[in-house]
Order: sequence, then C-alpha cells, then structure tokens
Amino acid sequence: MAPQTCRRPDKSMESKALNNATKRLWKRWGWIFLFAVSLLLILFTPLPIPSNSPADRNIRIEASMFQFSPGELKVNQGDRVTIELVSTDVVHGFSLDGYNFELKADPGQTATGTFIADKSGVFRFRCSVACGNLHPFMIGKLKVGPNLLLLRSIALSLLAVIAALVSLRMFPDQQSRYIK
Amino acid sequence: MKKEYLARSLVILFILVAVTIPFAGQWLSGRNQPAAIELHARMPENGGWSPDTIQAEVSQPIHLHITSDDVVHGFAIGKSDQPALEIIPGEFIETTLIFDKPGKYTFYCNRWCGPNHWRMRGTIEVSGTGTPLALDPQPLFLKLGIDIDAPQPAKTIPSKTTSAERGAQFAGLLPAYAKNRDTYLSTSPENLWLRLRAEATLSNLSDNDLWDAVTWIWLQQTTMDALANGQKLFANNCAACHGETGKGDGVMVRGLPVWNPGLHSSGDSPHLSTGEGFVSPPDFTDPKNMLGASPALLEGKIIRGGMGTGMPYWGPIFTAKQIEDIVSYIYTFVWGFSNQE
Repeated sequence: MAPQTCRRPDKSMESKALNNATKRLWKRWGWIFLFAVSLLLILFTPLPIPSNSPADRNIRIEASMFQFSPGELKVNQGDRVTIELVSTDVVHGFSLDGYNFELKADPGQTATGTFIADKSGVFRFRCSVACGNLHPFMIGKLKVGPNLLLLRSIALSLLAVIAALVSLRMFPDQQSRYIK
Repeated sequence: MKKEYLARSLVILFILVAVTIPFAGQWLSGRNQPAAIELHARMPENGGWSPDTIQAEVSQPIHLHITSDDVVHGFAIGKSDQPALEIIPGEFIETTLIFDKPGKYTFYCNRWCGPNHWRMRGTIEVSGTGTPLALDPQPLFLKLGIDIDAPQPAKTIPSKTTSAERGAQFAGLLPAYAKNRDTYLSTSPENLWLRLRAEATLSNLSDNDLWDAVTWIWLQQTTMDALANGQKLFANNCAACHGETGKGDGVMVRGLPVWNPGLHSSGDSPHLSTGEGFVSPPDFTDPKNMLGASPALLEGKIIRGGMGTGMPYWGPIFTAKQIEDIVSYIYTFVWGFSNQE
C-alpha cells in the first residue's frame, strides 16, 4: 500500500485528466445512475413497518346469501385472528386463500377458528359450501399489514414522472444531435 | 349352392347375436339391481323434497339416490337412530333403507336450509304384514289437560341465581313427593316452590334456599349425558331461532316482533309459509318465562308446536327420550347452570 501512495504525485496530471473524464461521464450518466439506484431502493428496501406487538383480534363475520359482512378485514402482521362465523340462512363456509384455514357454520351454530396472520398481503376468502346460484361470487378480502405493493408502485410511478421531466431538461437537443 | 345357404344363415346368426348381446346385458344388469328412487332436495320455497312420499314394502330394501339442487341439506329419518346424511349440491349420495315394521315414517332435512327449513319433510309409507309401528303413548300434556297455548308466566321468581349445589344440602328436608318423577313432570318450578313454601317443616328455610332446593330437584331428574345430548339437539335444531344462548335471538327470527302473550291467537287462519305473523321466541334465560312451565307443558310445545308463533312440530322427528333431554337442557338456561366444565 505504501509505495502506491508515494507514486501518487507523479501521476497527478494523469489523474486530473481522468477526473475530467469522470466528470464528463458523470454529467452524462450520473442522472441515469441515480435513477437506477433509487429504482432498486424503491423495489427492494424493506420498509420500516410500524411493528406493533401482535394483538388478539376477534372478528365476527355474518355470512348470508351471498355475502360476508364485514367483507373486508384488516389486521396487522403477526396478529392472532379469531374468526367467529355466523350463518344467517343456510350452511356457509369460510376458506381463506394463502392460509390453511377453513370454517363451516350451520345457522344457529357459530363456528370459531383461530389462525396467526404471519403472511402479509391481501388474501381472498370465499364461501366453501355451495350455497345457491350466486355462491361463486360470495367472496371477501383479508388485508394483512400495510399494502407494500401499492406504496412501491406509487413511488415507482412518481420516479418515472421525475425521470421524464429530468431527461427533458438535461437533453433537450438530444434528438437533433442524433440526427446530425 | 349348399355352401351359399350356409354362409347366409351364418350372417343372419351373427346379426342376431350382435343385436341380442346388448339387450341381454341390460336385462341381466337390471335384474340384479332393483330400481333406485332418485330423491331431489330443494329449499322448501322451491318445493322441498321431490318426491315427498315414498312407498315401500316391509323388509324390501329401498335404494335412494339423493342429491341437492341448491344448498346443503341433510337426510334423516325421524325417531330412528339412523345416522343423518349430508346432501351436497351436485353430488349423489346412495343409501339403502330397510324397514321391518309397516307404518308411516317421516324423513326430514336436518341442516338449516332457510327460514322454512323445518317444512322440508316427507313420508315413507311402508306397507306389508307384521307388527305395525308402535304408536306413541298419549303425551302427558293431553292427559293432564294442560293448555299449551295459554301463556304461563311465573309470578314468583328467585331474586338471585340459584345453585343446585347449595340446594343439595336441603335434600334431606324435602318431602317425598318433591323428589317424585311424576311431580317433576307435571309441576312447574314455581308451583313446586309454592307448595314447598307452604310446608311447615321447611318454614325455617329462606325463599332463595327453597329455590336452590327446587334447582337441585330439577337437576336430579336428569343426567349429565342427557344434558349434553339435549345441548347437541338444541344446537342442531332449535338454536337457529331460539338463539345459541336461549335468549330467543337466533339468526332466523331477526326483525320479528317479540313474543307477547297478548298477541296470542290460536283460532286465526293458518300462517303462510312466508313467515307472516311469526314472532321471535321468548327468552329462556328469563325466569318469568321459564319457571311457570312444567316439563309436561314444554314437552307438549315441542311435540305439537304452533302456539301461533311459527314453532314447528317435532313430534314425528324426536323420540320421547330426545324431547326429555331437550326439556331438561332448556331449564338449565334459567338455572344459571352450564354444562361446559
């Protein structure tokens, strides 16, 4: 390492030229580099999720022909979710995509089940017992944690807008230059 | 020439054999399998069972192919210990029934399939020789002449939750008739309490002590198994209207007016199947509703139903033992006694 530091002054001219070259390079490619880095950041940064301690959630869902009420559930990741399924007309089921969770309730017999919401994202739940002609449309949504996909895509589209504006500013005559 | 005749007759023989094979096969397979009855289950609003009457012969097996056209139904036979079948839409379930006594049997749907679920019943008429199906003995409410349509509110009720454990310590003091099964069946808790209150030997017990004793008497007349069975039957058949906790707030009676003895009108025109004129059932956890009713009265209400409330009749469905278990279980709502340890 030491000899290299000794030789540095000798190459100062060279390094100056190199510096100028880097500067030019930076001027041309710096923005693109910046955008690429922020793109990767947006895509892959693990967002600091407000990590509230896992809570016990008791959710009572009333299933009737052909809807769940409430049809949209929101829980935090790691919560212990207890679902109480009440059927108000015929036999209904509750099966949650992505989780291995199934319930079946007869009217007058509340079915209860517990699962731990350890996977984040949006999951569909649907009636698992044929309950009439509109049975396939009897679905609902379970949201676990913040919707990261939505946040990332909003940030990405903002980045695209900024990049478009910047490229207009930086290279206003690029097209004419290429034609020359 | 002789050879040509031979060839022609051979061709005719082959054609005949070819034609006969499928017919013979059909005849053979048809002979081994007796005709199956296809039974369709639909919600009562859409027709219920189809067909709803099945003819059968004594000790001749009947083959049923059962399917559902809309929602999940059940198939069970009243007053029998035949396990109930689950009928899932789009699937065929096969079952074979053999009856060894002639008579009329009721088959019914045992899964709630709508507010008129209990109307989904059919009959199997079994003809032939043999000892006919034993008739039920006359229910106690008819023997005693109890008017099960009349409201039976209790005027005297305990001022706090009763306890059979506390009541057990007074067991030795009670007169013999109090522990008699006939007294239990025909007397309401309120009347028994009034009778015991009038006893000179029990005058040193407080009112609530006496209620504890009545609670003890009522629980003496049943067993844990019977209560568990009653609880199961109640959950399957009654809770959709009477509520899982007996409060009369079941899912099927939401929005219906509250039961009120003043509304009672048994002579009116029959109710339509739309549920018009139905009321929500009384609160079993309220001592005022329960303590004036004797087990015989409750048994009558379960067997006959009606009362102008929309209560179904369970006489052809439940055995006497099952009704007894349900009655014992219904009383536990008011005794503040829970079967869940």
